[in-house]
Amino acid sequence: MSTMTDRPVTTLAAARAEDAVKIFGAGSTEVRALDNVTVEFERGRFSTIMGPSGSGKSTLLHCMAGLERLSSGRVLVGETDLNTLNDTDLTVLRRDRIGFVFQTFNLVPTLTAERNITLQLRLGRHKVDQDWFDEVVDTLGVRARLAHRPAELSGGERQRVAVARALINRPEIIFADEPTGNLDSAAGHEVLGFLQRAVDDLGQTVVMVTHDPSAAAFSQRIVFLEDGRVVDEMSEPTVVRILDRLKEFDD
Amino acid sequence: MWELSISNLWTKKFRLISTSLSVVVGVAFLAGSLVLLDTIGRTFDDLFSTINEELDANVRSTDVIEAQFGDIRGRIDEDIVDTVLSVDGVAAAQGEVQGFAQLVTHDGEPMGNPGQGAPTFGFNWGTIDELNPMRLVEGRAPSGPAEIVIDRQSSRDGPFALGDSVTVLLQGPPSQFTLVGIATFGTADSALGSTMAMFDLPTAQEVLAEPGQLDAVSVLADEGVGQQELADRLSSVLPADVEVVTGAELTEEQQSDVAEALGFFNTFMLVFAFIALFVASFIIYNTFSILVAQRTREMGLLRALGARRRQLVGSVLIEASMMGAIASIIGIAAGVGVATLLKAVLSAAGFDIPAGGVNFQPSTIYYSLAVGVGVTVLSALVPSWRASSTAPMAAIRTTTTDETADMARRLLIGLIGAAAGVGLLLWGLFGSPPNRTVMIGLATALVFLGVAALSPFVAAPFSRLVGSPIAKLGGVPGELARENALRNPRRTSTTAAALMIGVGLVGAIGIFAESAKASVDKIIDDSFVGDMVIDSGAFGFGGLSPELARQLNELPEVAAASGVRLGFAEIDGQSETLLGVDPATMGDIVDVGVLEGDVATLDENDLAVHEEVAADHGWRVGDGVAVRFADTGTQQFEIALVYANDDLAGRFFVGNPAFTANVPDVFDFQVYVLRDPAATALGARTAVEAVADGFANATVQDLDEFKQTQSDQIDQLLNLVYALLGLAIIIALIGIANTLALSTVERTHELGLLRAVGMTRPQLRRAVRWESIIIALLGTTLGFAIGLFFGWVIVRALADDGISEFRVPIGQLVVVAFLAVLAGVAAAVRPSRRAAKLNILEAISAQ
Repeated sequence: MSTMTDRPVTTLAAARAEDAVKIFGAGSTEVRALDNVTVEFERGRFSTIMGPSGSGKSTLLHCMAGLERLSSGRVLVGETDLNTLNDTDLTVLRRDRIGFVFQTFNLVPTLTAERNITLQLRLGRHKVDQDWFDEVVDTLGVRARLAHRPAELSGGERQRVAVARALINRPEIIFADEPTGNLDSAAGHEVLGFLQRAVDDLGQTVVMVTHDPSAAAFSQRIVFLEDGRVVDEMSEPTVVRILDRLKEFDD
Repeated sequence: MWELSISNLWTKKFRLISTSLSVVVGVAFLAGSLVLLDTIGRTFDDLFSTINEELDANVRSTDVIEAQFGDIRGRIDEDIVDTVLSVDGVAAAQGEVQGFAQLVTHDGEPMGNPGQGAPTFGFNWGTIDELNPMRLVEGRAPSGPAEIVIDRQSSRDGPFALGDSVTVLLQGPPSQFTLVGIATFGTADSALGSTMAMFDLPTAQEVLAEPGQLDAVSVLADEGVGQQELADRLSSVLPADVEVVTGAELTEEQQSDVAEALGFFNTFMLVFAFIALFVASFIIYNTFSILVAQRTREMGLLRALGARRRQLVGSVLIEASMMGAIASIIGIAAGVGVATLLKAVLSAAGFDIPAGGVNFQPSTIYYSLAVGVGVTVLSALVPSWRASSTAPMAAIRTTTTDETADMARRLLIGLIGAAAGVGLLLWGLFGSPPNRTVMIGLATALVFLGVAALSPFVAAPFSRLVGSPIAKLGGVPGELARENALRNPRRTSTTAAALMIGVGLVGAIGIFAESAKASVDKIIDDSFVGDMVIDSGAFGFGGLSPELARQLNELPEVAAASGVRLGFAEIDGQSETLLGVDPATMGDIVDVGVLEGDVATLDENDLAVHEEVAADHGWRVGDGVAVRFADTGTQQFEIALVYANDDLAGRFFVGNPAFTANVPDVFDFQVYVLRDPAATALGARTAVEAVADGFANATVQDLDEFKQTQSDQIDQLLNLVYALLGLAIIIALIGIANTLALSTVERTHELGLLRAVGMTRPQLRRAVRWESIIIALLGTTLGFAIGLFFGWVIVRALADDGISEFRVPIGQLVVVAFLAVLAGVAAAVRPSRRAAKLNILEAISAQ
């Protein structure tokens, strides 16, 4: 298992895509969801992928997280080329080296919050680091809800538990797919604040897909996608700058 | 609503296939049983039509005793043939004699198995061609005391050629005859597998029956004289104790006798068909419940759009009846194959059933279709009603409805059902209900339904209990399995309930069989002082020549050899089985617990009565009792002995002097042997076997071997029942697989999530497998509980019939539990594979 301490501190990207192409369908119904995308996400940063509907932002995230395979090109997580992995190795990589926060269905309904948080570790039969668990749980403020099942939690609490789950195995990178899409803005900002703290205070790496400028503004860098291509980048974004950039897509 | 039903069926077609499968299997078994029964029935109908094709009238005695194995009819004097021939309109008449004659192969083995298979007949060769169903294919008709004709099948099995000496087992000592002819039955090599030995009439009378006596006279009419007219003319001249039936009447009588004899078999097969369908109904119920639950949003939307409740119920029921109809049609088609398979299973278990081509009656289609559709629709009734009670707002709400009221009602219904079932069962077993079979069947079904209704209350604690070690052992997959089993206890328990039925019946019958074996052993230990038992395998028809016991008694190594005969008589107006024993030797070998009287002095008019029978009738030693025999009519007997132990002796027995005086055909069905104290066990056995070797159907066994044989016979029956119950268990497994598959569809999101966050395919498969095992174990445990109860009740109910011991076959039950776990694993194969193959992204993005 990779931990913060034994990971060499380098300037290497946490994950990168090289000439990534993803084609759905064939013939006349062929859609190039990703069209030669080359992009990298640095360690210890909070990055966002934005773009209009159908720009391929979710597809890029799925391919980089090992949930979907590329048609051509390659994706590396750390130094591991995902193309070289079979289904089981890919699954183990997701389990041990990646954290996930989805828009909905983040939690297994039959398991308590605590069992959900430790799910990935237990799937790999790894021991739970109690200090790290306590730190994560307290940071996210879900200690009081640990014995509850997802149905007994509010939407915001559920996403906080999901973030805790994503953090618990100290992944090399956390992928968040519209993590605030189902939340009201207060709860959404709370969750984003936690992702931000995960990066700033806990040294994690987060890559998020969102269409919400106020969510994207929490991140340190934005990659803009359109028609399956990287068309722009932005550092130190603000809501106003993001809105301005997004307007260009409508034109 | 039709449109909706059809489109639902179509979109859910793959899901429904596995549900239909349970109906298909159940209906296939029902149709198969019906086809087999019709086939056997027609085979016998054809047999008698062939035999009696040209027969115009049959003259026979009016003396009949109803017996367990068919009517026993007295004989008539052969002079009647002359009287018959003197009647105007009679073209020809011939005396008929039939009896036990078992052929022995060249290697000294008895041919045929009169105890279980087709009979081993001997009869006189017909001299009137029109009345003789046999056709000579080689040689000539028998003539004189040393000649025999046999059927072609036996000549092949022997093998025998013309001129060979053939040994035949008869009432008297085994005898040799010269084979002078080989005949076919019509064009068949044998009549339904029975072996046939034919002699000329005087020889047949001598070796099969009594000299000067006939079983019947067959009469052929002159051209232009009708059967009824002939019968009337004959009746007017014949004595009062002789009756005349027409050929057509005789055929009908014989056909309905066979139908009656097959009635038990009929019931037996249909019971298993209904068990299979009963199990299938649980699966249909469960599937429709799940489908309706999954369609809650759709139902809510339809309600919101103005669909009436009746329309929603209708849509589900139409769906069910279409599914039932399609499944039934497939099942009926498969039934023909099942009929063949059933026949193989039955003959493997030792029940040889004659059956030519398959007889497929339209009634099979009507019954099977009605039952198949009926079961499906009935099973879908409750789920469809639940569907219709969906609130329109359910389309929007995602939370499940409060089930507390539902569960309270379930508790009540379950308790009432189970209690009523137990009550009916006790009445059925210990009381005297109008129709015992139906009553017990209904009671059993009620108990199962009641327990099934109650099982959700057990399912949760049980899953937790069994799931805990699995969760510890199996990691996350084990934990998920436990939680999933707990998630919807109603679904888990209904699925398990289907398995419970099969396991419960297996358990009950296993307990009954084990208890029966122990009881038989105990009977032999308690009331048997002999050293050996010689068995013929026959029971009721034929057996060992009394000559065997006579010869054994001459051996110096034998202290006593006592044959036991089986006869039937009407005692005090009721037809009874009457045992005949040898007064000189019986007392030395079998302890019947004599209370009053002495076995050794039982004479020609002495009757021995069991104490309970005597008490019921208020009889005491010295009282007179009228006993009517088929052959000798009513005789005045005196009660000379009262005994306490009916395990071997039954309700009545007489001494051989009385038996021989009244029953013309005498066979010992078993001979008990006590060795002389001076002889060694081995020496006595060698000497006994040397004598028994001359009687090909005599099997010499010591007591341990005899016990083993008895226990083997029980096992044989047990295996047959297990094979048939296996079907119910297979259907239950289809049910488990079905529920798991449906649950997998419901859990698409979380399965996708689990795969996304790093659950490997093997882990996912394991989770489904463990869940399946939990369900299987729940079903097995419930089944054992019910089986234990049923087994105990059955054993208690049969206490008066000699089942004195109660035994639980622990080893066997452990094997069943182990098999249940394996079955759980097997049922999970497909659903788990499907779950593991799931596309992660589709699963987590699916709405």
